[in-house]
Amino acid sequence: MTTTQPTKRRFGFHRWLIVALMVVSVFAVRAYAPIRPHVQVAPEPVAGPFQIPLLGEMYLTNTMIAMLIVDVIVLAIGLTVRRAVRRGEPVLRGLAGLMEVVIEALYNLVESTAGKSARRIFPWAATIIIVVLIANWSKLLPGFESIGWLHEAHGEVEGYPAQELFRIGDLSVSTIVQDGGQEAAGGHLYTVAPFVRGLATDLNFTVGLALVSVVVTQVIGLQSAGPGYLTKFFNFGRFRRMWTREQLGPFEAIFPFLDIFVGLLELVAEVAKIISFSFRLFGNLFAGAVLMIIIGTLVPVFIPSGVLLFELFVGVIQALVFGMLTMVFMTMATQLHGGGEEASHSGAH
Amino acid sequence: MTPEVAQILVDGIVTGLKFLGAGLAMVGTLGAGLGIGLLGSGAVQGIARNPDAAGAIQINMILAIAFGEAVAIYALVVAMLILFVG
Repeated sequence: MTTTQPTKRRFGFHRWLIVALMVVSVFAVRAYAPIRPHVQVAPEPVAGPFQIPLLGEMYLTNTMIAMLIVDVIVLAIGLTVRRAVRRGEPVLRGLAGLMEVVIEALYNLVESTAGKSARRIFPWAATIIIVVLIANWSKLLPGFESIGWLHEAHGEVEGYPAQELFRIGDLSVSTIVQDGGQEAAGGHLYTVAPFVRGLATDLNFTVGLALVSVVVTQVIGLQSAGPGYLTKFFNFGRFRRMWTREQLGPFEAIFPFLDIFVGLLELVAEVAKIISFSFRLFGNLFAGAVLMIIIGTLVPVFIPSGVLLFELFVGVIQALVFGMLTMVFMTMATQLHGGGEEASHSGAH
Repeated sequence: MTPEVAQILVDGIVTGLKFLGAGLAMVGTLGAGLGIGLLGSGAVQGIARNPDAAGAIQINMILAIAFGEAVAIYALVVAMLILFVG
């Protein structure tokens, strides 16, 4: 890297670039005042409705397009790394080298927690971390959540007059402007339904990911502890023993019922995990989107850059938290019962 | 009072109460903030006493903060549902 540098940039090139962009943004804000978009929890449909057998009427929503984009990015990274590995170079370069560092760091993280079952847990945790990270970061690209169809506003939604910017063939590219523009286009008011919206701002994605995480945790628990894993939820061991016993102490009559109650609590905890997983990711990212919108309309110059930086940070933290919690829960599931004879202890905690 | 004026009045009251409810829902972040503060204080004290364990302490701290933060996020989601849905 240090030997070949054909175009040597002047010192402080990026600094001037940033200053120029800031000046441009001041004028851009003057020309087209930012408009607070309509905030909506449900994803906006982009195309449709399509008739799909068994499922009925479905729309292609903007978060589905984001999902496809994220999938394409992840697949492209995977294929790049595979090609680099196939080439058999001793040292991976570029993207493959970066992924090597990332995967190694993640594997060390998993191994420090999970120990010998790291090989089974690592793929799930790493996949979740990488997918959520790319989903969170791709949402910050310009054009996401801002370019889309113009829909005529109706109902409570506040609309704005549209103004044509330029034409590509038959397609007119317009923007919505604040009131007081040249003409209100015959009194029609519009809102923007973006083509692509941040993936994790859709509850469907986060709930799906949480379901995968929790279900796979149970599968891993069953694989490592066998059917004995289910005694975590349905613990009738001491109950059966109480039945065969003739003399009962006062505690021997209470503990079996406590065991059953604790098992019920564990069942509830699994359901609560799904809720907390999904709402944590959704809440963080949706709050980030709303924060961007509000800051962008209040102080459109310079401050949004700071918010974007914060969003970059939140994206990493949430991806890590989702993956690490999955990892910790899976580790707990593998370590629940050592040999199976500890079942009588499990009511004690 | 004509029906139109009454309708405007009712709409205004409903909007105002929505904002009030969203604000009250965010009171729930109080406990989460307190908890995260305690976590950070504990982690920093732990790192100060045993700087070698900084890595492990940080990982556990971030995990625990995520649990605490989730409570604040629930409050935020409730507030946003009040504001933007229905």
